[in-house]
Amino acid sequence: MEKYEKLEKVGEGTYGKVYKAKDKATGQLVALKKTRLEMDEEGIPPTALREISLLQMLSNSLYIVRLLCVEQIDKNGKPLLYLVFEYLDTDLKKFVDSHRKGPNPRPLPPSLIQSFLYQLCKGVAHCHSHGVLHRSILVTGPLCFLQWDRLVDLKPQNLLVDKEKGILKIADLGLGRAFTVPIKSYTHEIVTLWYRAPEVLLGSTHYSTAVDMWSVGCIFAEMVRRQALFPGDSEFQQLLHIFRLLGTPTEKQWPGVSSLRDWHVYPKWEPQNLASAVPALGPDGVDLLTKMLQYDPADRISAKAALDHPYFDSLDKSQF
Amino acid sequence: MKFDLENPLTSSNEHENDTVSALFAAESDHMPSFFSFKSTDIPFSIRRHAFSLISQAQFSYNLDQFTTYLAINYIDRFLSKQAVPENKPWIVRLLVIASLSLAAKMRSINLSLFDFQRDEGLIFDSESIQRMEVLILTTLNWRLRSITPFAFLDFINSLFELSDSSLSQTLKDRATDIIFNSHYEVKLFEYKPSILAASALLCAAHELIPQQFSIFLDEVSKCEYINKEELLNCWAVMRDATINEMTSSSLTPKSVLEYEDTSPENENNSKRRRLSDLQNDQTLHISQLQHC
Repeated sequence: MEKYEKLEKVGEGTYGKVYKAKDKATGQLVALKKTRLEMDEEGIPPTALREISLLQMLSNSLYIVRLLCVEQIDKNGKPLLYLVFEYLDTDLKKFVDSHRKGPNPRPLPPSLIQSFLYQLCKGVAHCHSHGVLHRSILVTGPLCFLQWDRLVDLKPQNLLVDKEKGILKIADLGLGRAFTVPIKSYTHEIVTLWYRAPEVLLGSTHYSTAVDMWSVGCIFAEMVRRQALFPGDSEFQQLLHIFRLLGTPTEKQWPGVSSLRDWHVYPKWEPQNLASAVPALGPDGVDLLTKMLQYDPADRISAKAALDHPYFDSLDKSQF
Repeated sequence: MKFDLENPLTSSNEHENDTVSALFAAESDHMPSFFSFKSTDIPFSIRRHAFSLISQAQFSYNLDQFTTYLAINYIDRFLSKQAVPENKPWIVRLLVIASLSLAAKMRSINLSLFDFQRDEGLIFDSESIQRMEVLILTTLNWRLRSITPFAFLDFINSLFELSDSSLSQTLKDRATDIIFNSHYEVKLFEYKPSILAASALLCAAHELIPQQFSIFLDEVSKCEYINKEELLNCWAVMRDATINEMTSSSLTPKSVLEYEDTSPENENNSKRRRLSDLQNDQTLHISQLQHC
């Protein structure tokens, strides 16, 4: 680890401390994530092996934060793993916050929202296309790529942003299971529910890639509004937030919803006009958002289809 | 036994095209480099040694072929990046054990390395094995999700519509055998996993459906991801390897050793001496490993 000079602690990720550091030889800035990997007599645990190799494979994309290398060190006889990622200066949460409060509150430029959303869909599409691949490549057992606690915990905090270049990348992929730490007690941070799809909240056991598209929709709306679309603080309240805006889902709209494990009888709210929740967004944007926030996961737009949506017609795609 | 790797492309999912292209795009990351092997003969003889150790282990402990295939993939990629001194056979053994251990972990298979080593009269301490695992991981840059030829079989098979579709599985099974049995052939090193898969299917088609072979070849060559010339070269090498395999029945540890013995850079013909050398090496320490 002498290769790196630690500059400052930039956060506590879900699986350990994160430092901003500099590669002494090249001057390159990196993010060092210290993992609390338990090595036993069997050596490196299979879960860590599988997760890191998955991350390594996914980080080929421009829209995924690149895993540069993995460093192993011995600290007082205990092995520690450092994951070395490329460094980006901020995350989407901080970026949106800086537009809401602070000295100069202002909306995010529409073209930037468009570009960020496009990059996000690119990254998600990449993960999803590899999801099929990864479930099948190589590993036995249900490597279900999409379980909520596993892979793409999409939320603004996990989207890193390069402000100067207008680049957005997905971070913190896939390390959920390998480095399980009791999140609440470790970081005192409550796992956010705001971006969680209704089928997950209702206890569905079979998720699909659609759960991620719900999150993308919530993030899209948040960039436009500069505040969260569904800021629930419990699973129940989270559902109520969603139902109040989009209407309480019906069997007709979403076949099978009332047989989901955590379904109860809810007040019957009528759907509101989604455009009123995102007044700054034009009709194409509202249409795309509507498609991302479909109740029935089977009706929700895929990341790949989203990339071809007319909302992105005015975007110069040659830069991506 | 079903190996997930066999079926990455069976989903009728909308991402299928992306998945196919992603698979073809990524396959080169998981190949050994032929050129670094060429510079000297040492890696070849080390590889043969490793291969025979793995074949022995496979037969003695009934390891499944996919695990050993993966372990050999790690060893090949390791050897194309790291110099391993030839006069230290214990290193090869340690490399084999650590690669098998990693492959088993990737496939969630419990492999008792202790059992594996016990009969050989040489037991590495777990610390040495772990160090070797880390050295392999670092060398391979943690890319252990190898893309192997098996990943391409279904896709390539789907390029051709068989007159009798029930033959499809038979063709695939035979191609799988051919891939396993020709893995020892270093001449196949330079070919991408997809080309190996296509060649194995060609060999299988040649054997099983000779009258449809030429159409099969035409269809496969039309695939945008496959270079016909490369395919034909690879097929020729693989066919020879398969003929060898058929004449010497299937590949047993013995046949691997025999195969080695007929090779020009024969290692003194003495496996036994190697094993007894190893026995004197029981208190292996990692400092030695670091010197290599």
